[in-house]
Amino acid sequence: MRYHPLTIAFRIYQLVKSNFFIAILLFVLNRESEFWIWKYGRYVFLLYIIVRLISIVLSWFVEKYEWKDRVFHIHKGIFVKQSSTIPFNKVQNVTRKTTVFHKIVGLTSLTFETAMDGVEDGIHFEVISKKHADELIDLVKANQVKVSEPELVSTMELEEEVEQEPVQDSYRTVHFTPKKKDLWKASFTSLSFLAIIPIVAGLLDNIQPFLEGRFEGILQMLLDSSWLFGIMIAIAVIVAVSFGIGRTFIRYGKYEISSDATHIYIDRGILNESYFAIEKKKIQGLEMEQSFLKRLLGLAEVKLISSAKPNQEDGSVNVNSLYPFLPLESAYKLIEEILPIYQVNSQLERLPRIALWLKLFRLNWMWIIVTAVLFYFKPDFLHIAWWGWSLLLLGIILLNRILNYIHTRYVVTDDQVQWWEGGLTSRMFITKRKNIVEMSYSQSRLQSHFQVATVSTTNRSTPVHVETIQDLPLDFALEMKNWYFKRVEDVEFENKK
Amino acid sequence: MNDIKLENSLSPSFPKIRRISETIGNIIGLLVIGILFWLQSFFDWPIWTFWILVGLTVLTILGIIWSIFEPTYLYRSWSYQYDDEYLQLSYGILQKEWVTVPMTKIQSVTTSQGPILKRYRARSIKVETVGSSHAIPALEEEVAFALREKIAEFAKLKEVDE
Repeated sequence: MRYHPLTIAFRIYQLVKSNFFIAILLFVLNRESEFWIWKYGRYVFLLYIIVRLISIVLSWFVEKYEWKDRVFHIHKGIFVKQSSTIPFNKVQNVTRKTTVFHKIVGLTSLTFETAMDGVEDGIHFEVISKKHADELIDLVKANQVKVSEPELVSTMELEEEVEQEPVQDSYRTVHFTPKKKDLWKASFTSLSFLAIIPIVAGLLDNIQPFLEGRFEGILQMLLDSSWLFGIMIAIAVIVAVSFGIGRTFIRYGKYEISSDATHIYIDRGILNESYFAIEKKKIQGLEMEQSFLKRLLGLAEVKLISSAKPNQEDGSVNVNSLYPFLPLESAYKLIEEILPIYQVNSQLERLPRIALWLKLFRLNWMWIIVTAVLFYFKPDFLHIAWWGWSLLLLGIILLNRILNYIHTRYVVTDDQVQWWEGGLTSRMFITKRKNIVEMSYSQSRLQSHFQVATVSTTNRSTPVHVETIQDLPLDFALEMKNWYFKRVEDVEFENKK
Repeated sequence: MNDIKLENSLSPSFPKIRRISETIGNIIGLLVIGILFWLQSFFDWPIWTFWILVGLTVLTILGIIWSIFEPTYLYRSWSYQYDDEYLQLSYGILQKEWVTVPMTKIQSVTTSQGPILKRYRARSIKVETVGSSHAIPALEEEVAFALREKIAEFAKLKEVDE
């Protein structure tokens, strides 16, 4: 089957979009320039665009897809014919995105992501009709479920607090939709950039002597009358704040996390709509992250660790993230509801006291290098001597380490390991023993003297997810090693002799 | 784990092999530094490049002294073990490392042999998993092949849910 004909239009649109700035640079800004880069650049650029246009049109004729017996077959290549097969059960997650382009023509896009080692990762339908997309999703899902055993359906119990919205599929449970309050909080976390204002003010103070003479008129007037300068800053802040709030509302305003017995679904977006589905058993682990600001506001981001390739086309919205601004209690509740096999413990153990000293006295190469550079150049930035900056950096590093000591907590239960760690940004990580593909621990001389060790675990993900916790008690590390050796108990083999 | 000893150790000729290859590396390093010194004086590079080169020379000399003792200690610290389920490696002089990989998660195993290893009838083995790769630097040829076969046999097993 050929892809939708509008794929050509979509690809041309993408081509225009991604080359727009280069075109402006070549043909508008440097139109008159005879410098060789611009002069020949124009020809090379035109040639490139023509070749791309031809290949876009031609490739539509040769690219085909079909499915047979739970396997997708994909054919492509203009000169070198390429065909690949992707079994349905290798599909890790499903993403459906409706950008503004798709909305105008009333279509959508669809991606099945896989985690196979190879060039062709997944199947991407750039333009597809909504009906056909639904058909394909159902097709793949039906066959995935057939392979897996029905899991315990404890997610089906509806919690009273959960706002009930009309659900598309009768058996899908909605777990989270953001309320107005959450969104205001969320937009607040994007205000951290306001911190640059004092820095900019300080900078202006410093560079003023250089600017004199050049912008004498305007800048001087601005700087001289403090109220005018104040108004300017106020306007800039208001613009930036409303931009930030608007962006947050558009991006995270319409958002719905739901699940059924086997899959987790995320529907989101106002301008660019997207739908994301992942099979529960494909999830390798869970991560909960709190930046400094988010912790002040009691928010957290929950991420699913899966071996699917993160598709980063839509910029900062990470597909693996459930929702970046979940209130903490909702985050815990959400994990319990959608993935009941993970038990989030609140009783965790802390590091031994000695770990704090080890952390404080560990050498920090970044600080040493920065200090050496500062010592050599001795810059007088913002009227603070070079050693002031060095001490400031050291202070931040030490604070981060103390916080890291306070935040690091760990617990290992039956077949699950959970830990919190991190300094200014803290992070929780939970995974199951069978999902840990490699475990190691190490001890430096100092660590072995104080009977502590560094433990790290590796999970399948793209890129590979490695968790490292420093200065755990040695007893625990040894216990964990034995715990890991029991991994065989959790694992079933497909083809055991 | 202060000194975990796993069942097997490296080929006894490992210290020799290591010493030869380190010597070759050191000679090349010294040659490069010598050339840089010559370039520095010939082209009149700024004076700080000279001090950087002096620093490099000091580091290289320290490295050479270290490389006299290191192979023996490294040989003593290295051990590995494998059974039907796991491959375990333990090594490191100052920083002790202990790694365990389930056999089923190993994706490929490669043995290789350079001229020095060949001279001592040894092979190195590299094991690749989804996440990383681990190398056992020198094993006697028969041991290396046996290990390779064993890993290949168990790597065939596939876990459900992949």
